[in-house]
Amino acid sequence: MKTNTESSPAAVRPLGREAMAAIRECVRPVIEERLVTRRGVAPLRREVLVCHGGACISCRAVPVADLMEAAIDQAGLADQARVVRVGCMGLCDAGPLVLVSPDGVYYPRVNEDLAGRIVKEHLSSGAVIEEEELSWEGPDGEMLRSREVPFFARQMKIALRNCGVIDPGSLEEYIAADGYAALEKVLFEMAPDQVLTELKRAGLRGRGGAGFPVGLKWQFVHDTQGDVKYVVCNADEGDPGAFMDRSILEGDPYSVVEAMTIAGRVVGSNQGYVYVRAEYPLAIERLDASLNSARSSGLLGKDILGSGFDFDLEIRIGAGAFVCGEETALMNSIEGKRGMPRPRPPFPAQKGLWKRPTLLNNVESWANISPILLRGAKWYSSIGTERSKGTKVFALAGAIRNTGLVEVPMGISLREVVEDLGGGIRSGRPFKAAQSGGPSGGCVPAAAADVAVDYESLQELGAIMGSGGLIVMDETTCMVELARFFMEFIVDESCGKCPPCRIGNRVMLSILERITKGEGQEDDLGLLERLGEHIQLSSLCGLGQTGPNPVLSTLRHFREEYETHVRERRCPAGQCRALLTYTIIEDLCNGCHVCAKACPVDAIGGEIKNVHLIDQEVCTHCGACLTACPTGAIEGK
Amino acid sequence: MAEMRNEVTEEPAGSGLIDAQAPEEIDSEAYRIVDRYVSEQPGGQEQLIPLLHRVQEYLGYLPFPVQEYVAGKLGLSPVEVYAVVSFYHFFTTTPRGRYQLKVCMGTACFVNNAQTICDVLGDLSGIELGGVTEDRLFSLEQVRCIGACGLAPALMVNDEAHGHLTPITVRKIFRKLKSAARKEKNSAGGEADSENKH
Repeated sequence: MKTNTESSPAAVRPLGREAMAAIRECVRPVIEERLVTRRGVAPLRREVLVCHGGACISCRAVPVADLMEAAIDQAGLADQARVVRVGCMGLCDAGPLVLVSPDGVYYPRVNEDLAGRIVKEHLSSGAVIEEEELSWEGPDGEMLRSREVPFFARQMKIALRNCGVIDPGSLEEYIAADGYAALEKVLFEMAPDQVLTELKRAGLRGRGGAGFPVGLKWQFVHDTQGDVKYVVCNADEGDPGAFMDRSILEGDPYSVVEAMTIAGRVVGSNQGYVYVRAEYPLAIERLDASLNSARSSGLLGKDILGSGFDFDLEIRIGAGAFVCGEETALMNSIEGKRGMPRPRPPFPAQKGLWKRPTLLNNVESWANISPILLRGAKWYSSIGTERSKGTKVFALAGAIRNTGLVEVPMGISLREVVEDLGGGIRSGRPFKAAQSGGPSGGCVPAAAADVAVDYESLQELGAIMGSGGLIVMDETTCMVELARFFMEFIVDESCGKCPPCRIGNRVMLSILERITKGEGQEDDLGLLERLGEHIQLSSLCGLGQTGPNPVLSTLRHFREEYETHVRERRCPAGQCRALLTYTIIEDLCNGCHVCAKACPVDAIGGEIKNVHLIDQEVCTHCGACLTACPTGAIEGK
Repeated sequence: MAEMRNEVTEEPAGSGLIDAQAPEEIDSEAYRIVDRYVSEQPGGQEQLIPLLHRVQEYLGYLPFPVQEYVAGKLGLSPVEVYAVVSFYHFFTTTPRGRYQLKVCMGTACFVNNAQTICDVLGDLSGIELGGVTEDRLFSLEQVRCIGACGLAPALMVNDEAHGHLTPITVRKIFRKLKSAARKEKNSAGGEADSENKH
């Protein structure tokens, strides 16, 4: 990955506190300019921030940035404008996303053509290309532009404060954005006890899903006697649909590195590990680069900033096992074993990694630490609800218009997140439900979407906050099939150690398969409920204990949909293939005969180049024709 | 590591296509990777997973003889190594295709009909999930959320993500890969593949 400051002098020799203060003084104004919206005044310099988050990169953000760099040089604008490659800006749907600052103009879906125009028109003459600017019709018909769009305007960024603002490869920019100021405070001004008190007062709860108070966890590890302790970052973001941890590691890796160093100082540890999924190569690459430059700058390793405190970090790459997101399984995996959970107690705070006291937090929790210590517990605890403080990052995906990452204060309603920030359902169909918390979570039906987003309120509805993946569904998603999908996931990922999870979930899956095939029996629903409750009570770890949640919550809120499958052998959403009737749309059929060849029971007939027909008497509802048709002429209802 | 990779792709003079007749010959460089890793990072079991990653990155899979060799080097029994290899989805003991088709099965992709994408690819390649075509050109698998939820339904071909797929665009991608492979084969002086199945 190209970064803007590859040869930055700051990265080659150890930095002192004075040097950091100097960097803040010089570079902070540059960073601050990126956060303002100032139009109509010609600035001395412009910066073009090109999102280099994972999603934008897969939409060709890198060649777009390269092209803009070349075009700026060619136009002789090198001293008036430059390209900055930043982390995820959040609005993944609009990738590659580009921000021109200090004008505060977002350009969505920038291709090579538009990139050239931005340089030629906006950068050369200062004229905003209005028809290409990100815009959104407001509630009263007014045109909202760039930062006024609710997706950006309604957010409150703490964990994501630097994502999309700074170059993740530049330590200098991180320092300029108040980076390492919290570490300095902890090393030279605050006693460990003061830090612990501050964290507990702030009320930050674990962002990995369970919501355990972070300050308390730190206190336990601090209080446990031991000459060797470990600090671990859980970046094994396995929940399908959640990608905030990845975005933080890709967009602001130093925030995690700094927070872990702080924790090392507070709890008395000199060694930390970051456990990252193998599926996130870019996050690993950027984290690795940040460790190296922190080390060579004296911010990691021996005698950090001359304080006498030693701390170092290592990356451990996961190998594709969802259960490794569970803390005890994760520790087994770091030790090089099968990622199977251990019974608790003893808790990791007493006997964790290699039986030593271990502090384990999730990426998003880590990213909240420095702002809390800099701005104070009082500020942090003023945000959110009584029992859920601060903000939460949500990954919006599914049938929603604005897929991407948003950070919102706790207590905001789910409906606001989906409809205002997320822009509602893309297809225009009615909003049916939102699934939060992945395979451990549950569904919130549209009717209950006014629920406040906090740990307790979501739990009351049978959903959980989880890691913050929010999958939004319209009426084309079948809730039974969704439950089956999650159960299949759980069965596949169950480590096999305890029978309730290994066998119980397997049985639940076969019942669900039966129902989606139209072979459900009247007492299946009650059986699912009983089984689910037993599995929740008797499984060893979080995976088994929460595995039945998706089934139980859909049963609770969408029972009639299950009943339609069982009693009428019908799938109202039109997703369960075995329950569909397939027909050929005459206007789309080009008579290529591919469907007839694909049909295993010869139920399709027709002359080549003429419209084909399906014999419903013979059809076995396998759906082979649907996937075979090259023109999308087959419809299942 | 980048240099090592270059070695292997350049060696067969750009042909790139693995000969289906001799699948089990293990590149001896894999053993040297193990030796080098163990001398750089001394340790026992805690080095196992990083080392397996290193080997699989090079070979594309973890053949049993290599697992045994790793076990010896780390002071573990072969079954301890196999226990780890078989536990984690990421590790595989079968070779993958030149084009690894990885259909994302995250929730966002799932609700956007990833199953259809998977079926279409199965149809086109004629292989089951987890399988490899006979010419080792394509392998097909479902993978856990790749975090490209904004692109759902998404497909990774090796390390390249393709998004917003429909059966029609998937067919196009598949045909493109196939013709790219054919061209490569022809330009490498091999026999022209006159078959035109799809």
